[in-house]
Amino acid sequence: MPIIVNLDVMMAKRKMSSGELAEKVGISQANLSILKTGKAKAMRFSTMEAICKALDCQPGDILEYREQD
Amino acid sequence: MWNGEKSISLSKLCILLFMCLLVVTVAFAPWLTRWFLDFSRAELKGTEPFFLATIYAGFVPAAYLLYSLLRLLRRIEAEQVFTTENVERLRLISWSCFAGAGISFVSVFYYFPWVFVAVAAAFMGLIVRVVKNMVAQAVALQNEVDYTV
Repeated sequence: MPIIVNLDVMMAKRKMSSGELAEKVGISQANLSILKTGKAKAMRFSTMEAICKALDCQPGDILEYREQD
Repeated sequence: MWNGEKSISLSKLCILLFMCLLVVTVAFAPWLTRWFLDFSRAELKGTEPFFLATIYAGFVPAAYLLYSLLRLLRRIEAEQVFTTENVERLRLISWSCFAGAGISFVSVFYYFPWVFVAVAAAFMGLIVRVVKNMVAQAVALQNEVDYTV
């Protein structure tokens, strides 16, 4: 998938653990893992909003478009 | 009170009845064929081996179809409805119908009324195929929902 989820990078920058982020966002650790591993097919605006709030960042900091060959 | 569980049990019972009917038909095929040839007014002398060949050849897709239906119902009972395994099972059921239609169609050369069985089986196969396409789309939607965070 050409959309890359850079959640790990932002979490490292903010020094936040998966458990803490999952709790702040209100999603399970399993769903957060789906996001981090790039298995997710879609992301709700409400989830994006909660992640941006928790990590104090913009959607563009988390999502990236990379063209595939 | 009638519910989904009882409905599945009824379907399973019907499949088991059809399985019994199939076994009885195959076990008594020579006797049934002779009885039919004696009973029929059509000129069918010498066609007994062909009738037996059709019945024995038709047994394979019919048995596989009934077995697949039973497996499908067991999965539905376990609440595993929109899965790729069920799509594959429906595809095999559809092909079993087409195989039965093919066998019946070949049998038309010695007994024309087999054409009605062939058309009915092919039509049934077509319906199952459309249902399979629909379930495949439902599986794709289910996957999308499962991977939406």
